[in-house]
Amino acid sequence: MPTRSPPGREAIIRLEDVHLKLASAAGLVNILNGIDLAIQAGESVGLVGPSGSGKTSLMMLVAGLERPSEGRISVAGQAFAGLDEDALARFRRDNVGIVFQAFHLVPTMTALENVAIPLELAGIKDAFARARVGLEAVGLGSRIHHYPGQLSGGEQQRTALARAFATEPRLLLADEPTGNLDGKTGEAIIELLFDLRARRGTTLLLITHDPAIARRCDRIVRLADGRIIDDRRAESTTTALPQ
Amino acid sequence: MRSADAALPLALRIARRELRGGLKGFRIFLAALALGVAAIAAVGSLSASVDGALKGDAKALLGGDVDLTLAHREASAAEYRAMQAAGLVSTSAELRAMTRAAQAKEGTGKRLLVELKAVDQHYPLYGALELTPPITTAAAFAARDGVFGAVADTDVLARLGLKLGERIKLGDATFELRATIGREPDRAVSAFILGPRLMVSMAALPATGLIQPGSIVRYNYRLKLPGGSDARAWLAELARQFPDAGWRAHSFHNATPRLQEFLDRIALYLTLVGLTALLVGGIGVANAVKAYLDGRATTIAILKCLGAPARLIFQAYLAEVFAIALCGIAIGLALGAIVPFLLADSLAHYLPVLAHAGLHPAPLLLAAAYGVLTTFAFTLWPLAEARDTPPQRLFRALAAPLRQWPRRVDALALLGAAAALAALAIASAGDRRIALWFVAGAVATLAAFRLSAWLIAASARAAARTPFVLSAWPTLRLALANLYRPGAPTASVVLSLGVGLTLLVAVGLVEGNLLREVTETLPAGAPSYFFIDIQPDQLKGFDEAVRGVEGTSGLEQVPSLRGRITALNGVAAERAKINPRSAWVLESDRGLTYAAIPPPGARIVAGSWWPADYAGPPLVSLDAEVARDFALKLGDTLTVNVLGREVTARIASFREIEWSSLTLNFVMVFSPGVLEGAPQTFIATVKASAAAEEPLVRAVTDRFANISAIHVKEALEAAASILGSIASAVRLTALFTLIVGTLVLAGALAAEHERRTYDAVVLKVLGATRRTLLATFLIEYGVLGAAAAAVASALGTLVGYLVTTRIMEGAWHFLPAAVAGTALGSTLLTLALGFAGTWRALGERPAPYLRNE
Repeated sequence: MPTRSPPGREAIIRLEDVHLKLASAAGLVNILNGIDLAIQAGESVGLVGPSGSGKTSLMMLVAGLERPSEGRISVAGQAFAGLDEDALARFRRDNVGIVFQAFHLVPTMTALENVAIPLELAGIKDAFARARVGLEAVGLGSRIHHYPGQLSGGEQQRTALARAFATEPRLLLADEPTGNLDGKTGEAIIELLFDLRARRGTTLLLITHDPAIARRCDRIVRLADGRIIDDRRAESTTTALPQ
Repeated sequence: MRSADAALPLALRIARRELRGGLKGFRIFLAALALGVAAIAAVGSLSASVDGALKGDAKALLGGDVDLTLAHREASAAEYRAMQAAGLVSTSAELRAMTRAAQAKEGTGKRLLVELKAVDQHYPLYGALELTPPITTAAAFAARDGVFGAVADTDVLARLGLKLGERIKLGDATFELRATIGREPDRAVSAFILGPRLMVSMAALPATGLIQPGSIVRYNYRLKLPGGSDARAWLAELARQFPDAGWRAHSFHNATPRLQEFLDRIALYLTLVGLTALLVGGIGVANAVKAYLDGRATTIAILKCLGAPARLIFQAYLAEVFAIALCGIAIGLALGAIVPFLLADSLAHYLPVLAHAGLHPAPLLLAAAYGVLTTFAFTLWPLAEARDTPPQRLFRALAAPLRQWPRRVDALALLGAAAALAALAIASAGDRRIALWFVAGAVATLAAFRLSAWLIAASARAAARTPFVLSAWPTLRLALANLYRPGAPTASVVLSLGVGLTLLVAVGLVEGNLLREVTETLPAGAPSYFFIDIQPDQLKGFDEAVRGVEGTSGLEQVPSLRGRITALNGVAAERAKINPRSAWVLESDRGLTYAAIPPPGARIVAGSWWPADYAGPPLVSLDAEVARDFALKLGDTLTVNVLGREVTARIASFREIEWSSLTLNFVMVFSPGVLEGAPQTFIATVKASAAAEEPLVRAVTDRFANISAIHVKEALEAAASILGSIASAVRLTALFTLIVGTLVLAGALAAEHERRTYDAVVLKVLGATRRTLLATFLIEYGVLGAAAAAVASALGTLVGYLVTTRIMEGAWHFLPAAVAGTALGSTLLTLALGFAGTWRALGERPAPYLRNE
């Protein structure tokens, strides 16, 4: 079911007839089969579907971490076709923040270093000062010199959020950011995520299994067997999470 | 509660189950241990093989059951009768002589200095003289058509351009070359062999005219005693019978004492270098065990949750580690044990015997003991850490404490293992002093590298936080951060690379300094030739012959006698208490001379020289260093036996002698009026331009067949070649250390691969380009390699300096090229290994690492 940009707004993510096939021991496996998707700047989109439906693969493609077998992808006005690995890395550095379910912090760097690293890579002079501010914004001002192993799961994900927002990206990709957290900690993280996004006007593509979290997005896209089977406005973008 | 007895079988069962996981992660462990043990086992086995051969062939090496050596004179009739009464006597004479092709006219053709040996019909009493073609000694030496036969090293034929059957001139006589020598059973090994061997019969010697009064000639009387005779008792009886004979007497029990001592010393150095390889390997063992046990932390926590006591965990993993260690040790022993079989033939070139290749249990046992102790010393800490793994980690995966010191009991056990290792090294060494210095040096070196690693990390931490690096150079900051982050391999890399490098730098510098001393630094005043055996009545003619050759200068001639010190201040030499460093002066005959005025360049440091017209009681001027080692003062007396006559002289002065000047120097110079009457020859030195060298030798030897010319440069090159061979052996063993070090380094980097790949993936997600990552890792390894090289250069230079000046007692010169080459090589090696690992990490696809499922 192809989706189109609402009139008058620019599509920050555009996927046209995207296919992804991956090699496995059993031969080539079709992961995504003809995805057409457009997401507007400033929009928040919940990506839902059963395990193995291709949600993470779709997100990897949007992040430039995976290359499509067929089809065209452009993000933030940049067509991915023909970009090499380093060009894609620079593209992410300048445009994309990512939050993972497993946090993926560098275990041998302190929280401060983890948040500062994308700023450093972007050549920002006051990387550490900004990183400190970012960590304070997520409530970790007192734990900046702790290593990931010394932080709880919630604290690690807050660090990851601070890292993802550090460069003020136009697009935030979040892959089940609460999947490894208990309910209460997860709620706090989601609150923080939506709050940061709202303040900065960041486009959000969020993978979740939680219908309540998905409902907080502007739009919900449902995947099954590598295809988009449903794409609609969320029933209520203002539905508060249960307290 | 389970008893300790019941716990042990369970521990072994757990160890066996854990071993089912295979040896993945233990390859470096196995290789490092095997190579370290192999180095020690190989040196020990080889040494035992040579030692066995020296002992087994002692009679052949000595030439008889006993050997009596006389300098300058033949045995008296009474002495000879006493020998004959005891058994079969074989007489031989050895001297240096010049030879040339008989066909060459005088004034043409090459002259060659040979080590001449004349033998009688009984030679050799033991062993066999191997000749090519295989003719008997009788056929080789007998006169045929009025011409005696001779046999020679192939070198004689090659250098004179002759074939078998052609003739040579030796002194006044002509000989036919009938065979080449394959093996001479009693050939001595010495750095002072100045030419190839030429062998003739005793019967032919008089015809050469080489034996003149005072000639430098050595007579050997070898005896084959009847079966059941006690050689030592017979020698003691002979000494009572002829107390003033002045001969050196040896029985086969102690046939080659100096060679054996020399080889023992070499074996000790090589063993210690091998032990260094094992110590470096120990670091690899520790790294591997730590990495393995870190990976088993969850299993250990599960076992503890299920009720396994800490002791059981320790026993189980200790058993597993030792099972693998024993495999490594066994591989090392097997490798070491085959070395004598592989090298026996090559060694024959350097030694007078064929090494008895075989299995030698003692050195293998020693190497195994080193392997076991090293394993224990290096795995105790990681094993203790594993034992203390908290079971809570299953529930709360907070990082383990960043630094954990061992408990007191573990620390004591660790110290005990290290002390046992040190004690074994010292106890098994022939020279305990050197082994003790080695242990102290090894501890200091390991400590220095550990400290350096800490300093590198601390400096990197400080540098990474400077405003400049923080604001302007993220690549550098990342690289520096990699040096001090938790679990950084800085210490492993610096230690594993540094110790091997230190050894190589030290060996390079010691070798460079020794070679420099004997080859490169021919002093400006050094002569080109020494001429020996000049008869007093030949002095004038010799002078004319030398001066007649254009391009010669600096002719000096001094009388030369041989004498043996028999008493110091009235105390018999063998009972005198002396510094072993100067024992060589008493061991055999020494050259001595007499002079009215001080020799040119003599530096008198105590006492005074006698007046030029002195005619009083005998006085002597002595080498100051020898005097110090003999604890002699001015006014003390020295007794010397010159050709059977005892001369006692009072010490009038001490001279500081610069032996390396290569001018005419004597330990003892007597006052005039003492030795003039004794049979003597003259020794002369001459400088010659390159073009004048050959004509000079021809001019002298054509006119005086008995005079021998020693080419100083060739003699030094021969000594340098022996030194070079020893240095090669040491360097080869040191290279073992570097190979083990490289393995350990590779292991440390391989252990990092997982983390490095993960870091690379996350950084790429965050926008890092491959170039940035590559630059980061290259800076990191560049800094590590350069730092290890810098510390190794400094430590290696210190070790080289100490060995050169204290042990070798040589002059020290810093050789920047030797150090820089080694240091540069090491930095490149680290960079290459780091680059290889990084390249692989960069090639990994990020997506699989980031998926949740």
